[in-house]
Amino acid sequence: MTGELTEAVAAAQAGDEGAFRYLYRSLQPGLLRYLTVLVGPDAEDVASETWLQISRDLPRFTGGEFRAWTVTIARNRAMDHLRRQRRRPTVPVPVQALSEMAGDLDTAERAGETIGTEAALALIATLPPREAEAVLLRAVVGLDAETAGRVLGRRAGAVRTAAHRGLRRLAALLDRQDASRPAEAEQPATPPLPRRGQRAPDARAEPADG
Amino acid sequence: MDFRRSDRSGRPVDRAEAERLLDAAAAPAAGDADPLARLLHAAAAPSRPAEMAGEEAALAAFRSARAAGPAADPPRRRRGITTGLVTWVAGIVTLAAAGVAFAAVTRDRPADPQPPAGPPASLPEPAAVPADGGDSGGPTTPAGGSATAVPTATPVGVPSPGATSGQPTPTGTPALPVGPSASASPGVPAGDPRFRGQCRAYLAKSARQREKILTTPAFVDLVAAAGGADRVEAYCQRLLDSGASASQSPTADPTGVDD
Repeated sequence: MTGELTEAVAAAQAGDEGAFRYLYRSLQPGLLRYLTVLVGPDAEDVASETWLQISRDLPRFTGGEFRAWTVTIARNRAMDHLRRQRRRPTVPVPVQALSEMAGDLDTAERAGETIGTEAALALIATLPPREAEAVLLRAVVGLDAETAGRVLGRRAGAVRTAAHRGLRRLAALLDRQDASRPAEAEQPATPPLPRRGQRAPDARAEPADG
Repeated sequence: MDFRRSDRSGRPVDRAEAERLLDAAAAPAAGDADPLARLLHAAAAPSRPAEMAGEEAALAAFRSARAAGPAADPPRRRRGITTGLVTWVAGIVTLAAAGVAFAAVTRDRPADPQPPAGPPASLPEPAAVPADGGDSGGPTTPAGGSATAVPTATPVGVPSPGATSGQPTPTGTPALPVGPSASASPGVPAGDPRFRGQCRAYLAKSARQREKILTTPAFVDLVAAAGGADRVEAYCQRLLDSGASASQSPTADPTGVDD
């Protein structure tokens, strides 16, 4: 996989369009999902900004882990986006969207289906940002702890710890969801976010009739 | 329902297991009973078509980056050198032309206070133009450089014929008193040799065609020089006669427009 990726990078740098398409198809899902957790519904916009920069800076990529290089670009674009957004007066409502997606999780599981990708991402997005990022870079983007640490500007050990904590929190969330499910079975419209530990008050406060 | 009651419940994920789960997330999920593993598998599931909506846009970006990219770096450096060079050359040409103009004007018209004021005023103006052209970039710059040389060159040309020929009223004369040697540049106002070809063409036409031909844009200058469409014939006769009676120079004919 990594070898194919390296070959494709070299071919794309030489101008091979098919190789660039291969890179897009290999990397876009992970990037988009990572961005979804970082910036919510604007993830697609940020992803296209990311690909714009990737295609522009591709000749300047001088080796190393290409996956990490692209994720770093995506992360920088996401941070720019959040900074721009913070400067705007209106507060976006990703919480609403996330709670809807997490609602899908409930529905899917109740129907005995496999968990949808959006629902899984929505659940990961409820983690504290450091843990969410660590889990995503490791599990979804497919970086090892060392590489993820380079992307995040932290030590590999710190990434392992954050990912570990994130998984424990996710496991607890799943258990709690499972335990409280019978009580909610009759109310599919209820957003499941309020059930999630210490973040529950925030989550309830924001989408309330908003 | 069963997976909820699996061994996950109540037991915290240890560090090694966390690493294993994270590494295994991308691997195909084979009916995993562990909800956490299922969750990670779902997050890392194979791509869906909706996620690839931007593929063509990304490829378009790649294409345009390829079209602009490889040429972007070296030309920028080269452009910097050429613009610098062009700016310098244009500046030197401007200065030289202004100096010649200044010298010519001051020598030929020492009493007149106005012409000396002219060239110095025109000095900073053309010097500023190549600087602008340099910013705007490559191919336009040479044109801008040559364009600046032309306006400064014409002031040199204009005062000199009047001054060298020593004739204050060149318009009234039947032209070419100075001879064909001067005809190339200064004899513009009256007996302009570039009208000879047009005059011959005009005179060769029938009366009806003459009217028509004078309305064409090519003959606007001739009509203007003659002072009206009805005077073109006389003007042309005079011009061709004077050209013939004066020395029929070899340079006069090639400068003519005909053929």
